[in-house]
Amino acid sequence: MTGPTENGAAVAGAAVGAAAGAAVGAADGPAAGTAAGTVADVAGPPGRTAALVLDRASVAYGDVPVLEELHGTVYEGEAVALIGPNGAGKSTLIKALLGLVPVVRGRIEVLGTSPDRARRDVAYVPQADTLDPDFPISVEQVVMMGRYRKIGWLRRPSAADREHAAAALEQVGLAERARHRFGTLSGGQRQRVLLARAIAAQPRLLLLDEPFNGVDAVSQHTILEAMDALKGRGTSVVVSTHDLAIAHLACDEVCLLNRHQFGFGPTDATLTPERLRATYGGHALELRGDRVIVTQT
Amino acid sequence: MILFEPFHLPFMARALAELVILGALAGTVGVLVLLRRLAFVSDALTHTVFPGVVIGYLMAGEGGVFWGALAAGVVTAVLLTLLTHRRRVSEDAALAMLLTTLFAVGVVLVSRQTGYTADLTAFLFGRVLTVTQEQLAQTGVVTILIVVLLAVLRRPLTLRAFDPEGARAAGIRVGLLDLVSNIAVALVVVAAVRAVGTILVIALLIVPAAAARVLSDRIAVIVPLACVMGAAAGWLGLAASYEASVGHGLRLASGGAVVLILVAMYGLAWAAGVARRRVRLDRASGAAGLEALR
Ligand SMILES: Nc1ncnc2c1ncn2[C@@H]1O[C@H](COP(=O)(O)OP(=O)(O)O)[C@@H](O)[C@H]1O
Ligand SMILES: [Mg+2]
Repeated sequence: MTGPTENGAAVAGAAVGAAAGAAVGAADGPAAGTAAGTVADVAGPPGRTAALVLDRASVAYGDVPVLEELHGTVYEGEAVALIGPNGAGKSTLIKALLGLVPVVRGRIEVLGTSPDRARRDVAYVPQADTLDPDFPISVEQVVMMGRYRKIGWLRRPSAADREHAAAALEQVGLAERARHRFGTLSGGQRQRVLLARAIAAQPRLLLLDEPFNGVDAVSQHTILEAMDALKGRGTSVVVSTHDLAIAHLACDEVCLLNRHQFGFGPTDATLTPERLRATYGGHALELRGDRVIVTQT
Repeated sequence: MILFEPFHLPFMARALAELVILGALAGTVGVLVLLRRLAFVSDALTHTVFPGVVIGYLMAGEGGVFWGALAAGVVTAVLLTLLTHRRRVSEDAALAMLLTTLFAVGVVLVSRQTGYTADLTAFLFGRVLTVTQEQLAQTGVVTILIVVLLAVLRRPLTLRAFDPEGARAAGIRVGLLDLVSNIAVALVVVAAVRAVGTILVIALLIVPAAAARVLSDRIAVIVPLACVMGAAAGWLGLAASYEASVGHGLRLASGGAVVLILVAMYGLAWAAGVARRRVRLDRASGAAGLEALR
């Protein structure tokens, strides 16, 4: 999972360099002295509801602090990209948003309440390659798991449950694979099935952990389209990725992470070469003209 | 007919009922063991239940065996759940040492008895022909309990086995669920200990599920298949051991016969699985060939 070849190089488009000048203090690295960005302190325009509030939050496994002083807000229908090298704490933040890793200082608010209580409206999409490809389960059964919450333990899936599952599978372009065994699909297709499972749950917040890792172009396109469709319905999206181009393409906000927060704010304004270099460590970043290339992830 | 005739004798009928129920139960729970990769839990249990059995026997005679096994099994299930939630435990040398030590304690305690080899064999390999009504009733109760439990928890159990992080994210109490799984495995070992002994029960848990998995990719098929294969192996094994002893003067321990039948079943299932895959491949390439001709 940590092989350098697998993640390859993340390349951001020409917009990065150009946008650097427009960064109006949307975010600060810890080096700047203040603990966190300034965006979150500003209340959103009227009518916008916050889906996610990080309020100087620190997250720890037991005594080991993993993430410190996170600060930012994501509104309903917006997508935020979590960007940072391996071991930065992206997965840990996603688990904290699920209430599975404790917030030791500060506060995390999800859908207006605590992560624990928000969980029934949050869907999580794990990395497909962390799951056992030999497991005896069909694609449609995986998608139906997204409905378990609504079905309960004993009731049989209703017609409505089946419709939701079928529609979700259709949305990721795998309707004709419903009866295939999950493990027989390609990596990208498996990732799409897991996304369909999340869609079937009708979440208000969607959490995707590195959904584009080792995924083919068709799957990447399908996942991006589905993210857009969900955003259109008011679902907020948190997606961790190494791919700066995808952040530009699909996300309204970015959160630059490496144990600390190195920036949080609108994508173009926040993805500056300076912040990226700080996030990834100076040695890991090459600048060529107006392109930013992260060589080590 | 050798498959029916011996079981007119009441003690043989009881032995048959016990082995068929145990085979069905272990086959079913074996699917959980397979999907959750709990083989090391079954292995640990066989080591700890043995001293439990011995201590129960020393304290209260035959009647103490079940309760000694139960206490040891449940304590083991709880400790293993706690341990695995701290770190990976399956390849831990310290744990292996502890388990062997507990097993040795059992052996030492038995060896202080007069006629201990007989007792030792009974505890390790079981004594199915002396199964009593009361034992049968205990096995029945344990079976009903576990089957109801697995039926009620089938969705969270499947999700947890397939995708543990996803299960946590969905609000499932994974720690509690794992405890229930480990206790279910412990109860099977406890129920089986007097009839097939602590050593052979692991085969009952592992082999039918593995054979069923080779034959099908669907849990809804694997569970009944494993259940039927476990039950059938109990029956055939007992019949074979009766026939060998009575018909041919060969002493053939029934527990061992059951396990050998299971392994033979696995071999057949494996061959059938290979054939099944070959047919499927032929069909696929045949279809591809037709496509190419068009
Ligand atoms: N269960 C855990 N217990 C303790 N530390 C952990 C655990 N999981 C991850 N960590 C540590 O937290 C840090 C961040 O990990 P992670 O969130 O997985 O990073 P990323 O997803 O950005 O690659 C790593 O240094 C890792 O060693
Ligand atoms: Mg990660």
